[in-house]
Amino acid sequence: MKSIKLYLCSLSMALMVLSGCAVEPQTIPYGQANCAHCNMTVADNRYGAEMVNDKGKPYFFDSAECLIAYVNEQPEQGEKAAYLLVSDFTKPGELIAARNAAFLQAKALPSPMGMYLTAVADNAAATQMQQEYGGRLLTWEEAAQAVRNNERPE
Amino acid sequence: MKDLNKLYYILCMLVLLLTANVAFGSTLKVCKTCDYTSVKQAVKQAKPGETVLIENGVYQEYGIEITKPLTILGRNNPVIDGNYKGQIFTVLSDNVTIEGLTIKNIATSYRHDDAAIRVVERSNVRILNNTILNTFFGIYLQYSDNCVVKGNVVTGKDVTGLNESALGNAIHLWYCDNVAISNNKVKGHRDGIYLEFVKDSEVKNNLSQHNLRYGLHFMFSDRNVYTHNIFRQNGAGVAVMYTRDIRMEHNTFENNWGAAAYGLLLKDITNSVIHNNTFRRNTTGIYMESSNRLDIQRNNFDHNGWAVRLLSSCSDDVFKWNNFTGNSFDVSTNGDSKLNHFENNYWDKYSGYDLNKDRIGDVPYRPVSLYSMLVERVPPSVMFMRSFMVDMLDNIEKVLPSFIPENLVDEQPLMSKIDHDNDRKLAQILR
Repeated sequence: MKSIKLYLCSLSMALMVLSGCAVEPQTIPYGQANCAHCNMTVADNRYGAEMVNDKGKPYFFDSAECLIAYVNEQPEQGEKAAYLLVSDFTKPGELIAARNAAFLQAKALPSPMGMYLTAVADNAAATQMQQEYGGRLLTWEEAAQAVRNNERPE
Repeated sequence: MKDLNKLYYILCMLVLLLTANVAFGSTLKVCKTCDYTSVKQAVKQAKPGETVLIENGVYQEYGIEITKPLTILGRNNPVIDGNYKGQIFTVLSDNVTIEGLTIKNIATSYRHDDAAIRVVERSNVRILNNTILNTFFGIYLQYSDNCVVKGNVVTGKDVTGLNESALGNAIHLWYCDNVAISNNKVKGHRDGIYLEFVKDSEVKNNLSQHNLRYGLHFMFSDRNVYTHNIFRQNGAGVAVMYTRDIRMEHNTFENNWGAAAYGLLLKDITNSVIHNNTFRRNTTGIYMESSNRLDIQRNNFDHNGWAVRLLSSCSDDVFKWNNFTGNSFDVSTNGDSKLNHFENNYWDKYSGYDLNKDRIGDVPYRPVSLYSMLVERVPPSVMFMRSFMVDMLDNIEKVLPSFIPENLVDEQPLMSKIDHDNDRKLAQILR
């Protein structure tokens, strides 16, 4: 009986260890992790971003522009990444797929790294925010282009 | 005749000054039994140049907009309680002074960066000796020049064990020039003092501690000076990023511990000066990435995990007359950062000799150990610290250097510790 218990215990332990290797998004440990691009502490849960590579290793970023700069510099990493995630500004702490997100670039919304990029899940919410804050709406590709060219709102 | 003219002139000036005092110096008092019982009301009624004197008491108010030059002065510690409803003071005029108040209770909101005191596109605003408690942002200056933030105490939440980001910054500057921030005590915020797109400003004599992220943070902020500050137990002490021409002198960086913690984080900075600072008990004293032409002199690195982590993307940095004592690693690097220069530093791990008694060691010192390079490449190997094998490897490497960067070397290490306060003579001799 005892040995069965031990067996079950070790099995569950092994499962836990294995599940740790699964390729899935991780919660961003705000205040604990450093941005993989700029090394700043990731602290603002309205702007945190994440890349999970094909092996399941998470990379945390303090802003969408840092994630973008990272994959701009290492395109092959970005292409084979399992997840590219950004925070939904309207729901702090919630991560959404970066490729489907809408990006609002508005002078009134300063993001951590000076590119004024704010990500939102759906276009309707983004349009509504644009009416409130001004600026322009970008897709993921356009945002990547804006970071590459260092375009900031004037 | 000339004297008489002078006398006349002085008399004229005196009369002018006196009348000016009458014209601009009148005071509106606020208290329970005064003409004005509300700060907002008094601010509204006051004429430009007048003083609103707030007496002891608690005032439940928010949304006070100052649209003309005024002095808001607290006497006998009055308290303005915002009741978590919104911003308390919004300064929309030049030449405003806010002094001697206790301002508290601003709601945390992720959509509005509400502050206890916000200054919008103005100049010559002075924020002096206030106590600011329990707010999202404490003092927020945007597009404002020639302002003074002095002697304030800004206290937020207790961030111990907190890893969420529902915190604003204690003192936040955004696109400001010529601002003096001195003698403030800030704690319990995201960043203690944050400067983004700020130029030609000075940060002096502040105490910044227990902040979630940085004690002081520069982003895209050139030509600034920070001296005589203490940064203690923050997520990281100070971060200077994407910036040039910064003077950092006589600061203390201590107890900034944690896996992601630094005393001083330098990322993409150039042409800056780091003199006479103390780095004590930090995970990493200075972490440098893509930072060039830095002059690092007369600092004390004491009991840090890493005193200096100098990434190979750095070049033309000079380390002179620094003390390295009790650090687990003096210098580590991830490649061959040979483009930097070490000279006349004191290293307590140096085991050379000085036969000609010129106080300079006769054999060079290589501050990068083999083991530190190993840890830089394979972080988990840190668990072998102080083991016999590691000591042996390091000693063999010292005798026959083959892996450690050949050119990262102090050719003239000092034999005794430099007392930076009293050892001017030695410094002069060496100079």
